[in-house]
Amino acid sequence: MNTDYADLAALTRRLADIPAEFLGEPSVAGHGEMAVAAIVGDVLRMHGLHASSEFLGAFQGRSAHTDRNRLALAAIASWLLADEALIGADLPHPALEDVVGALVAEMAAITPAHAFVHDAERREELVRALLARLGLRPLGETPAQAQDRLSAISAIQRRALLAASRQAEKRAREVREALARKLAAESADKWTRE
Amino acid sequence: MMNDLADRERFPTLTTEGQRMLDFLRRHPSAPVFRNASGNRLQAHEVEAQQAFEREIVDAPIDATPGIPPPWVYPLIARMHATVPHYRQRGSPPRAFNQVAPVSRADLSADIAQFVPDDVQLERMIQFRTTGTTGHPLLIPSHPVVAARYAAFHKRALRRLGIEAQHGAGQVGVVLLGFQERCFTYVSVTPTMGESGLAKLNLHPNDWRDPLDRARYLDALAPEIVAGDPLSFTEYLTLPLTHAPRALISVSMQLMPALRMQLEQRFGCPVLDIYSLGEVGPVGVFDAALDGHLLLQPQLYVEILDRDGRPVSPGTAGEITVTGGFNDCLPLLRYRTGDFASLRPSAHGPVLIGLCGRQPVRFRALAGWINNIDVTHALEPFPLSHFHLHQGADGNMSLQVAPNAMHYAVPARAALERLFGAGTVVVEVLHAADKTLQYTSSLEGSQA
Repeated sequence: MNTDYADLAALTRRLADIPAEFLGEPSVAGHGEMAVAAIVGDVLRMHGLHASSEFLGAFQGRSAHTDRNRLALAAIASWLLADEALIGADLPHPALEDVVGALVAEMAAITPAHAFVHDAERREELVRALLARLGLRPLGETPAQAQDRLSAISAIQRRALLAASRQAEKRAREVREALARKLAAESADKWTRE
Repeated sequence: MMNDLADRERFPTLTTEGQRMLDFLRRHPSAPVFRNASGNRLQAHEVEAQQAFEREIVDAPIDATPGIPPPWVYPLIARMHATVPHYRQRGSPPRAFNQVAPVSRADLSADIAQFVPDDVQLERMIQFRTTGTTGHPLLIPSHPVVAARYAAFHKRALRRLGIEAQHGAGQVGVVLLGFQERCFTYVSVTPTMGESGLAKLNLHPNDWRDPLDRARYLDALAPEIVAGDPLSFTEYLTLPLTHAPRALISVSMQLMPALRMQLEQRFGCPVLDIYSLGEVGPVGVFDAALDGHLLLQPQLYVEILDRDGRPVSPGTAGEITVTGGFNDCLPLLRYRTGDFASLRPSAHGPVLIGLCGRQPVRFRALAGWINNIDVTHALEPFPLSHFHLHQGADGNMSLQVAPNAMHYAVPARAALERLFGAGTVVVEVLHAADKTLQYTSSLEGSQA
């Protein structure tokens, strides 16, 4: 293939057909069976990159709260990167590390990982974002078109997620305020008090 | 009728009869100083819903087999990952129950708002504060309906003993006893039971014009049920009472068998020892025939996890971990309670065996390492309201008991010296007036 281009349709199809083992439960603090550090290490090796143990250490989950969704998306991104055409594209190693590291962390911070498999729009968003970070663009698109389409598909999602995030912060503040009210502290009848 | 707007919020369905009960409780010549105000806060439709809830709970089967999650946990996992901020951040719901990483008291304590579902209405939210004995004070979000639901589980526990709570209009149903320097005290009525009276009292003399008023007032109230903890019940035993309730309910702390026996003999009624947590309400009731605490909540899945958060093999002790519950403001998913026991099936439902309020402690004794349960057994003959036993780095033991229990010092020391050797035990006065850690050790290997 031309090293600047990738087949968007083929990659989104690959994402939709992801094997179940890449959608397993990431191993985090003793829970879950999917060893994401090993998966990431393997796929990078396919690209000729021997990642440092320090880099791969970031894929050993410590907290379900902060790591689980990121690791689930790292496994999904690894499946994409294991695509034969991408392996043959001689991709720059820093860009590969950036995809499984920074890009996955950014996208996982706002969207449940499995939405990038089950939702057609999110599939396209993940593939387009990944290609952009790798310096590739979809076949038949100019750089400007590729950028516009990625921005458009991301922007709607980001706006929605930003609103959701603001709403979540507002809600948490309201819960704390409700708990702090004098009448809340006055409580209500229970037959026993612990 | 009602004093002010706040009273209308406290008692939305109050009738003339209920007002009369409140007046009786507040204005009795022997009444204590009531430090606070509270109420049932139940609206008319909620009173009916609570009555239906009690009918449903009182004899609903608990068909959970230890180690096998009931089917209702799966929709709960999906719902919580969609509507509870903490779980939403974890991403997609796990497919298997065992893949859900547990949470602890420290997680709730860090920001309780992250555990309140998005669809919970906040206008009538209330809170209960729990301190525990191991730090991490918590504000528990709740609702008047949730608070009222406690009664359903107590009625379920009472019914096992053939007791149906009956007190209604013009009678006092429940008195809650505390015995602390400072205590939240108030009076109320229970609309699901004909507006029978409810009073939360502090037996500490500070709250009374005359200490003798405590017995006069309690006799005048003649409550059907008295709830308290080993500290307040120890004080209750000292009062010259003529009235005996139909049952006592003890929560919060371990009730030593000798104190239970004293209470049963003195009042001629059963004493229910309930294992209850602010986070989840009444979990189990002690049943001597089953040698443990029989679970009480049909919609609470209880499992036992090891230190790494994995389920232990059946019958093995570990941390009590709960899922579900009746508090809609704080549904729980694999919440590690910080309490320890093993779980055994029985014909009546799962039973917690060897309940221990925190990580078990091993002591080095004459026969080698022994578990703190062996020490509890050695101290069973003594009606101690609370105590603290510590093993120093030199292996010597220090038993601290409340001042009013120092007359048990000689036999208690003898009982412990049978385990630890002559001359190794001292008995001292315990000055802490509230919950204390029962067992501690400075010896390496004590937490194994």
